[in-house]
Amino acid sequence: MTAPDNAGLDIERVREQADRVLAEPLYWFPVRHHSPMVARHLRAAIRARKPKLVLIEGPAGATEMIRHIVDPKTKPPIALYASYRDDGNLLGLAGKASAAPDIPPRFPVWYPLLGYSPEYVAMKEASAIGADAVFIDLPNHALIDPADWETTDADHDDELSDASEPAPGTAPPSWEAVVVESSFYQTLARVAGYRSWDEAWDSLFEIGHRHGTYEDFRRDMAYFCAAVRATSNPARLARDGTLPRERHMLAAIKAELATRGLAPEQAMVVCGGFHLFLDRHDTEPPPTPPAGTCLTTVVPYSYVRISELSGYGAANRAPRFYQAVWEHLDDKDEEPWIAAMVEHVVSVLARGRKDGEPLSSADAISVTQHARMLAALRGRPMPILDDIRDALIACCCKGRPEEEGRHLVLAMTGAEIGNSIGRVTPALGKLPIVHDFYAQLDTLELGEVMGRDKRVTLTLDLREEQGSRRSAFLHRLAILDIPLAEREGGASGDGTTLFREKWRLLWSPKTEAQLIDKNLYGDTIESAAIAQLEEDVAKEQRHAGATCGRLLAAVSMQLPHLVQRLEVAAGAAVDEDRHFTSQCEALVHLLVLDRLALQRDLGRAAIEALATRSYARACLAITDLGSVPVDQQESTIGHLKSLAEAVLGGDLDLDRTLFVDQVKQAAVSTEVPFMQGAFAGILTELREIDPNDLAARVAAFATSHPAKMVLAGEFLDGAFAVSKTSMLLGAEALVGAIDTLLRAAPWDDFMVLLPKVRNAFERLHERQRLAFADRVAARYGLTEVEQISELPATSTEAAAYLATIDARVAAIMKDWTF
Amino acid sequence: MAKDSKDTDPTTGILREPAELQFRAQLEALKQNDADTPPSVWKLSPRSVLAYITGTAKPLDATINGKKTQVAITRKFFGDDTIVERAIVTLASERALLLVGEPGTGKSWLSEHLAAAISGCSTLTIQGTAGTTEDQIKYSWNVARVIAEGPKPENMIPSPTMIAMKTGALLRFEEITRCVPDVQDALVSILSDKNMVVPELPDANMVFARPGFNVIATANSRDQGVNELSAALKRRFNYVHIPIVADQKTEIAIVRDRSKELLERYKIPAKIEEPVIAMLATVFREMRAGTTADGVSFQKVSTTLSTAEAIGVALDSAIRARYFGNGAVTIEEIARNLVGSVVKEDLDDLKVLKEYLAVVAKKRGAKDASWKTFHDAALKAVTSAS
Repeated sequence: MTAPDNAGLDIERVREQADRVLAEPLYWFPVRHHSPMVARHLRAAIRARKPKLVLIEGPAGATEMIRHIVDPKTKPPIALYASYRDDGNLLGLAGKASAAPDIPPRFPVWYPLLGYSPEYVAMKEASAIGADAVFIDLPNHALIDPADWETTDADHDDELSDASEPAPGTAPPSWEAVVVESSFYQTLARVAGYRSWDEAWDSLFEIGHRHGTYEDFRRDMAYFCAAVRATSNPARLARDGTLPRERHMLAAIKAELATRGLAPEQAMVVCGGFHLFLDRHDTEPPPTPPAGTCLTTVVPYSYVRISELSGYGAANRAPRFYQAVWEHLDDKDEEPWIAAMVEHVVSVLARGRKDGEPLSSADAISVTQHARMLAALRGRPMPILDDIRDALIACCCKGRPEEEGRHLVLAMTGAEIGNSIGRVTPALGKLPIVHDFYAQLDTLELGEVMGRDKRVTLTLDLREEQGSRRSAFLHRLAILDIPLAEREGGASGDGTTLFREKWRLLWSPKTEAQLIDKNLYGDTIESAAIAQLEEDVAKEQRHAGATCGRLLAAVSMQLPHLVQRLEVAAGAAVDEDRHFTSQCEALVHLLVLDRLALQRDLGRAAIEALATRSYARACLAITDLGSVPVDQQESTIGHLKSLAEAVLGGDLDLDRTLFVDQVKQAAVSTEVPFMQGAFAGILTELREIDPNDLAARVAAFATSHPAKMVLAGEFLDGAFAVSKTSMLLGAEALVGAIDTLLRAAPWDDFMVLLPKVRNAFERLHERQRLAFADRVAARYGLTEVEQISELPATSTEAAAYLATIDARVAAIMKDWTF
Repeated sequence: MAKDSKDTDPTTGILREPAELQFRAQLEALKQNDADTPPSVWKLSPRSVLAYITGTAKPLDATINGKKTQVAITRKFFGDDTIVERAIVTLASERALLLVGEPGTGKSWLSEHLAAAISGCSTLTIQGTAGTTEDQIKYSWNVARVIAEGPKPENMIPSPTMIAMKTGALLRFEEITRCVPDVQDALVSILSDKNMVVPELPDANMVFARPGFNVIATANSRDQGVNELSAALKRRFNYVHIPIVADQKTEIAIVRDRSKELLERYKIPAKIEEPVIAMLATVFREMRAGTTADGVSFQKVSTTLSTAEAIGVALDSAIRARYFGNGAVTIEEIARNLVGSVVKEDLDDLKVLKEYLAVVAKKRGAKDASWKTFHDAALKAVTSAS
C-alpha cells in the first residue's frame, strides 16, 4: 500500500505494529460490517485454519443467541436485539430518556446481520466446523453516558431533528467514524479523490483486485487500520467508548481461552480492524454494566431498515446491491462486480420503465460501458457503486436528477436497497407477549400482513363480532405503539363512523422488536395494554382531556375492568382541571363514549354524569377566554364551537343557560375585538342575539374613533369564525353595515381594515360568499341574477346583455369615492 | 515557468484566443507527461483531459518551445469534478454530450476546453438559433460553381459538422434547443449512424465519421420547453447538468480567476482586491438564493444572477475604474455596476434590490465599513435608476 504524502505517518512503525499483531499466535481477522469481500476472505480463513473457538465482536450477553442465528431456519436480514431497562434509575435518566421520572428508561439496540455480514458468516462457519462461537464485546448499556442526554435534550424536542437518528446509547458501536476522522484517511481521500468512506472502502478493499488470498487481504487491512489508529485522535478514543470496549474484549478473550483450556493458536478473533491494535498491556479493568433488566433476542430485520441507518456503522448503503455482489462472489464468478453491476442496472431500468421512463436495453449497455470507463478514469479496475450511480445519471437522466430524473433516482434507490425481510427460527421460541400476538393474529385472521412489505387496508364493522374483536386488538396495539396498524384519520378516527373503522396495516421489522420491548409490561397484549394505559393515566392524572381520552381508548380496547378504574381517575381529573381546552377535549371524548355506550350496552349514567361535570367546568372557564394569546385564538374558538354544538345538538341534556350566561359575561368583559366578535357570533348562532343587532354593532364601528374603527375587521373575523348560518340570515343588514363602515373609513384606515375583512369572508364557503355578493349587487341596483344565469353562455344576446350590465356596474362605480 | 500568454504566441492581435491557443503550453505539458494511452485520435488521455480541466496540484516538467520549464496546470472548471468525469467519459463513448444548466454556469466554457483538450480544436462550432438551417448543420453548395459545373465534392461547402466528422474531431453545438425541431433532427442520423448522406453526389454520397468524432451540445435550462429535443435525439445524448456553483469559496475563486484573465486579455492594468471580489460574490449568492448566510430571507430576483454575470460586473467595474477613475476597483464601482445586472427586464427586481440593501446591507454596514460603503453607493445607484 502506498502511503499518501503528508499523512503524518511513520510508515515503518505502522508496518512493524501491524506485522507484530499479524504474527501473534492468536489469529486476528479484521472486519468491516456488511462487507461481502471481508465475509468471503473470512470464510476462507476459517475453513483453512479450523479454529476451535471463534471470538466475535458482539454483545457478550448475547452469546446464547448464536445457536438461533445459525439455525438453518433463520434467514437474514435479522438483527440481534438487546434491550436494557434501568429499573433502579442508576443512570439518573428517568424522565430524560423516559416519559416521566417514575418510568424506568429503556435502551434498545439492534445489531443488524445480513447474509454477507462477516460476523454472521463467522458464526455460520464456526458452526459448520464444530467450533464454538462467542461474543466478546462490552454490552452496549455499559456505554450509556448520561451526559449525552444532557446535551441532546434540545435535539429531541426539535421537530426538525432527524427522526432516523438513533438516540444516545441506542446505536451499536462502530469504528468507522474514527476512520473518517483520522488524518491518514483524510489525506488518502484527498489525494485519491474519494468523496466518501464507502467509496474509499469499495475502491481499496471491496472490489478485491489487490488481494489474491485471505492472508493478502488480512495484511493489507491490518496495515490500513494500523495507519488509521496511528493518526486518530486519542481523546476521541477515550470519549467514544472504544477503550472500555477493548478492555472488555481483551478480558473476555483471555477468560474464554482459559475456561476452555485452549492455546491462542486454536482460536480466532473476528473484530473491527481498528481493534486489532488494542492495548494488550492495558491493566485498567473494563466497566461493569449497570444492573437492570436485560433482554436479548433475535428479530427479523429488513434491507430498508438497514439502509435507513445510513451514516452509522451498522448501516449498509445498498443492501440489495451488495447481496448481488456476495452471490456472484459465491458463484466464483470471474468478475463478480461486473455481473452484479449488470444485474443491478437491468433492475434499475426495469423499475424506471414501470414508472414510465423511456429506458431501453441500449441504455443498459451504455450505462455499463460508461461505468467501466468512469472507473478506469478514476483509477479503478472495475466499477463500484459510485461509478454505476454516476453512469446511470449520465446515460439515463435527461435533465436535473431532482426533477426530470426523479423517477430514475427512485428506481436507483429501490434497486440498491431492495425489500427483503428476514426470518427467525421458530426454535428461538417466542416471548409470551409475542406468542400471544401471533395467536391473536391467527384467531383474527390477520396473519397475512406479517412479514410482508405490503400495506393492507381493513374496514371493520363494529356491529359484527369479528370486526369488534379486531378493532379492540388494533386499538391495544396502538396504545402499545406497536408499529403495525394505523387508524385512518389519525387517533381520533376522523372520517370513520361510530360503527365503522378503517385501519391501514403494514408490517415493519420493528413490530416484533417493539413487542419484545413491551414484554416488560405484561405477558399478553391485553395485560401490556392495561399496564401501558395505567402508566399513561398516571402521567396525566390532572389533565381531564387526556384522561378521558384514555378512558375512550379503554372502551375501544374493550377493557371493561379498566373502564371502571379509569372512570374514577377521569372524575378526579375533571374536577381538578381548570383549563377550558382540556375540559372541552374531555367533553368531546365523553360524548363519543356516550354514543359508544348506547351501541355497546354500557352503563351510560356514569358517563353522562362525567360529561355534565366536564361541561360545567368548561362553561365556567369561558370567562377566562377573553385574553387568550393570539396564537391560541383559533384553537380556542374551535373548542367554543364544539361546546356550542354540544348544547345545540347533543344527546345529553346540558345546561344551556349556563353556557349562554358565561358567553355573555365573557363578551362584555373581553377587550379583544376578535374574541368580542366570536362571542357575539356564538350568541347569534344560539339565537340569543338577532343578526340585525350584530349588524348594528358592526355599523357602530363606522362612527367610532378611527383607532377603534380599524378594529371592526377583527370583530367581523371573530364573528364569521364561529357563525355562518346566522350571518346569512342577517346578510342584508350585515352588508349594509359593512358598506357603511367602508364608506366611513378614510383610505389609510380602510387599508388596515381590509385584510381582516377579507379574512372574515374567506372563512365562508363559496356559496355563502356568493349569497353575500348577491346582496351587495342587489344593494347597488343589480337584481337580474336569475335571468343572467339562464342565458346561454355563448349567445350574442348574452354577450350584449353582459355588456349592458358591465356598463351599469361601471356607472355605479363612478360614484364610489375610493 | 512557461506561460500560456501571448508572448509565446505568434497570433497576438486576436481579441479572444480559443482555448487550444491560450492554454497551449498546458496542453503540451500534459501531452508530454501523459502516462496513459489516449483513445484513437484524442490528443490526450481521458485522465490528462481531466487534469487539464480540473488542474493539478503541482506544475509539470515540460519542454516548451525547446526550453525545459515547469508548467502549472490551472483549474478551468470549478465545481463538482464528477461532472467533468462524466462529460469526458461520454465523449469517449458512442453517445454525444449535452451540457444543460442555467445561463452563466460555464457550459460553453467547459465545452470549449473539452474540445481543445480532446481534439486540439474548439472552433468547429455551430451556434444554434431560431434561424439555424439544416444546411448549416450538414453542408451547402457554392451555387455559382454548381450552376457552372454541377454538384462536385469540391463545390461543396462543408459545415463544421462535416469537418469534425472527416477529421475525427469534436463538434460544438451551442444552444441546441434554440433550433427548431426539424433542424435538430438533422443530427439524429449523424449521431446514430455516424455518417452523413449527400444525395447530390451519386459517386460519393456518404461522408463517414472518423474515430474521435462526437458532439458537445449545450442547452439553457431556462429555454426548456421552447424547442425540446425529440425523444430520438434525447436518446443519443448523455445529459450532464451543470448546477450553479454550490459554495461561496468556489464562486469567489471563479470570479477572481476569470476576472483576472479577462483583464489581461483587455490589457487593463487594474487589480480587483480580494475583499471586493468576496463582497461581489456574496451579494450575488445571497440575491440569487433570496436568503443570507445568517438566515435573513427576502424575495428572489427574476434575473439569473450567474457567476458569469458577477464576472461581468467585475470586468465592467475595472474598465470604468481604468478609464473614468483612478484605476482602483472599489466597492463603490462594484455597487454602481451591480444595479444593471440585477435589474434587467423586470422592474420589480429593483424593489428586491432595495429590500436587500435595507434589510441586509444596511444592518451589516452598522458594523462593517465596507458594507456601509456598498450600501450607500448601491442605494444611490438604485435611487437614480428608479
